[in-house]
Amino acid sequence: MAGAQYTSLFDNATLARVEQMRLQPVRRLTNRSRGEHLAGKGGTSIEFHDYRDYAAGDDVRYVDWNIFARIQRPYLKLYRHEEELHVVILLDASASMQYGQKLVRARQLAAAFAVMGLLNGEKVSIDACHHRGRSPVSLAPCTGRINLKRVLEFLEAIPAAGDFPIELAVEEVLKQPRGRGMAILLSDFLTFGRLERPLNLLFSAGLEVCAIQLLTPEELRPDLAGDVRFVDCETGHTLDVSSVGDLLAIYQEHLAAMQAELSLLCRQRSGRFLCLDADTPIDSILFDVLRRKGWVR
Amino acid sequence: MTWPGFSALSAAWLFALLAPLILFYFLKLRRPRLEISSLALWRQVISDQRVNSPFQKFKRNLLLLLQILLLSCLVLAAMQPFWPADADRAQFIPVLIDCSASMGALDRPGGVTRLDAAKAEVGKLIDNLLPQQRMCLIALDQSARRLTDFTDNHRVLHEALHQLEVRPVPSRLEDGLRMAQALTRLAPVSAVLLITDGNLPPQSDFELPFRLTYQQVPPAGPNLGITELNARRSAAGWEVFARLEGSAGLQGLVECELWQNGEQVHTESITMVEGEAARLTFSVATAEAASLELRIRPDSFDALDVDNAAFLELPAARPLLVYCPEELFSYRHALRSHRDIDLYPRDGAADPPEVDLRFADALRNSGPKSRVTLHIGVVPGDLQPLLTIEDRLAEVVDWSRTSALLRHVQLFDVQIGENPVSRPGVGERDYELAGYEVLAQGTEGPLILERPSETGIDFFLLFHTDRSSLPFRVGFPILVANAVELALERAALSEARSWPTGTLPPHQVAPDSEFLVDTPDGRRLTVRSNAEGVLSGIPATQHGRYVVRRGSDLVANWGVSLLAASETQLATTDKLQFPETSVATSTERLRTDRPLWSWFAWAALALLLAEWWYFQRRPEGVSV
Repeated sequence: MAGAQYTSLFDNATLARVEQMRLQPVRRLTNRSRGEHLAGKGGTSIEFHDYRDYAAGDDVRYVDWNIFARIQRPYLKLYRHEEELHVVILLDASASMQYGQKLVRARQLAAAFAVMGLLNGEKVSIDACHHRGRSPVSLAPCTGRINLKRVLEFLEAIPAAGDFPIELAVEEVLKQPRGRGMAILLSDFLTFGRLERPLNLLFSAGLEVCAIQLLTPEELRPDLAGDVRFVDCETGHTLDVSSVGDLLAIYQEHLAAMQAELSLLCRQRSGRFLCLDADTPIDSILFDVLRRKGWVR
Repeated sequence: MTWPGFSALSAAWLFALLAPLILFYFLKLRRPRLEISSLALWRQVISDQRVNSPFQKFKRNLLLLLQILLLSCLVLAAMQPFWPADADRAQFIPVLIDCSASMGALDRPGGVTRLDAAKAEVGKLIDNLLPQQRMCLIALDQSARRLTDFTDNHRVLHEALHQLEVRPVPSRLEDGLRMAQALTRLAPVSAVLLITDGNLPPQSDFELPFRLTYQQVPPAGPNLGITELNARRSAAGWEVFARLEGSAGLQGLVECELWQNGEQVHTESITMVEGEAARLTFSVATAEAASLELRIRPDSFDALDVDNAAFLELPAARPLLVYCPEELFSYRHALRSHRDIDLYPRDGAADPPEVDLRFADALRNSGPKSRVTLHIGVVPGDLQPLLTIEDRLAEVVDWSRTSALLRHVQLFDVQIGENPVSRPGVGERDYELAGYEVLAQGTEGPLILERPSETGIDFFLLFHTDRSSLPFRVGFPILVANAVELALERAALSEARSWPTGTLPPHQVAPDSEFLVDTPDGRRLTVRSNAEGVLSGIPATQHGRYVVRRGSDLVANWGVSLLAASETQLATTDKLQFPETSVATSTERLRTDRPLWSWFAWAALALLLAEWWYFQRRPEGVSV
């Protein structure tokens, strides 16, 4: 029954399956506050990590007395530290995302990642960018299942409008202090600007970049002919193209080059990139594509 | 170097339409708007070096290029371009089309006639006619007929050309050239085109006032035909002689059939040898009038059918009617030695209304009408202003030994007591202009004259033989015998000849009467005899039988045949000789200005189709 759905973003069964999933970051970029992610540095967990020489002032509880008895020198046992991961979700909600299922799929993905973060004890924040020059619509960092409803309602209410380019949106989001963790960028990445700088900023802020490009089938495989006047939905600028059918092959080449460049930019910053057809069902994306790609587990 | 010209150069202003065409194209008034997420990718595509390469630009603007070419072709077609054939472009072109009998010859079994080939050539000329050019079609056979005025109306010209048919008559080139010369008074004609099979007399007395282009159609195939058919009276009836001739390369068997009054009376097969004529002789034993028809059937291909039949009318046998006054005793005496002659006047018999031969002198110049009349000592009234008769001896200077009357007649040393003297300034030319031919010439004037007429022939001995020694000479009975022989020929009693196509022979009928003539092609003509009762000038342009009736009464039945050796032989001449020049046949078609507008129109159509295909083709999308 529709009334019994927990959220309009996806059905309860999908939500239940998402709740069982966890984010799988490549790097351990965590905050010092306790969390469920094991940090490489010494901690208080039960998982052994390394030895080091004893220094004055160290807690003698961690001295390995067996080694001390054999070699008469104190060594300290180090354990992995469980720290909190900050999941920053940046959702491109500009007008260009209103085409096809792009915004719908972006909100669903953002909800899925947020659910995974919340239920894994991570700190989750969401920023939706609309208009250039205005602050993004943000959901303050939150954690725990208790904020699940609030996160979903926030995402359900995000409309598509404005002309905020993704590269500026990243800079705008990073103006607010964020913890280390991972930044999930949900956008079509159809922008005139360069993405090196925002990705560098994310990297230097300790955020692992996870970029998901959402494109409609018409953008992936356009079927056009004749002379066309293209109108940019965000800026209203026009571009006259003659014999557009002859240029489709070149369009495909440029699209592939853009995706390759985005992928390279992300990999150079220890990040990941994925291009999705917005018409692909959300279940297929969550439980098949993302799992196979190792984004979630 | 020759550059194309334009007949309607003013239409070039239509090129101004290129401006709005290009303007509208780049304004892209009908370019559909398509809202998309971002122009980012498309801007990269447009900025791609490959897209901006000249070839890609050309491809992107191919539609514009096609439209420009299409409009240019249409404008060029409207400007009516032509490829000039000659520096002095003829504006008025008379075309003489030979439609004589030989033009009906086929080139092969089931092929086309020479006239059809000529029509095709002229048809192309008509189609290539430029707007300023006018053409006049003239049909040429035994006479010339103007089929059209000078016109550029293609429909009129094609229609006249379509109606042109072969006439089984020999061609007479001079008539056609004279008509073309007459056209020069109507229009500035500088050149005349003659299209023929080349079956023309090689020499002509016509002085060309214009340039003649002599163009031959391809030659016809082999042909065999009857070129002569005549008969001579024999003791048993008639001996019929026929002559068959063929064109070069003809040989083989020929089946000959002689039909008399609709019944086949003789048949014979002969072998034709290339380059030789064949002679046939048939004996027809009849004293009654008969209609003969000779038909031939070659066993191989025969290019011309019209000369495969010939007609001959044999008159009924009867004695020659001669009227000679009893006072002309010497003549009657000479006539008595001839057989089959009824001599008038005679006792107990009335004079017939018409005789075949009549002798008369100045005192006795009356009697029945006759075909041949020998006037003795008579000066015609129209010649009296030209000469006088003096009572002194005349001397014979010369005479025509080949004339029918004076053959084998010796006039030297004949003493003539009357001397015809031409008046001062009167010469032989004056007698010819008066319609007389001088047969014997004296020292001071003519002695014997001949005047042919529609009804017969008159001989005038300007001196009376009674005042000469001629009756006592050997030549006198020969002179009388020649007159009898001539009368026999004229009365067709000794010989009968087939009549060729052209005009029907004059016929003596009731004066001022109306007659109906049924032609072989089913037409019926109405003709009228003149005041002298002569029916003449009836056109016989078709071979076959012509039946003349007066009301329902049959007046005459003539069979008309081609009987032209030159037409049957299909001989062609490559060079026509004129008094001061000669014209060789042109192997090339007449070089006229060649219109090019149709090429541009076709190119425009092709461009239109290309544009349609380009516009309607499926996009070259990338299959994913």
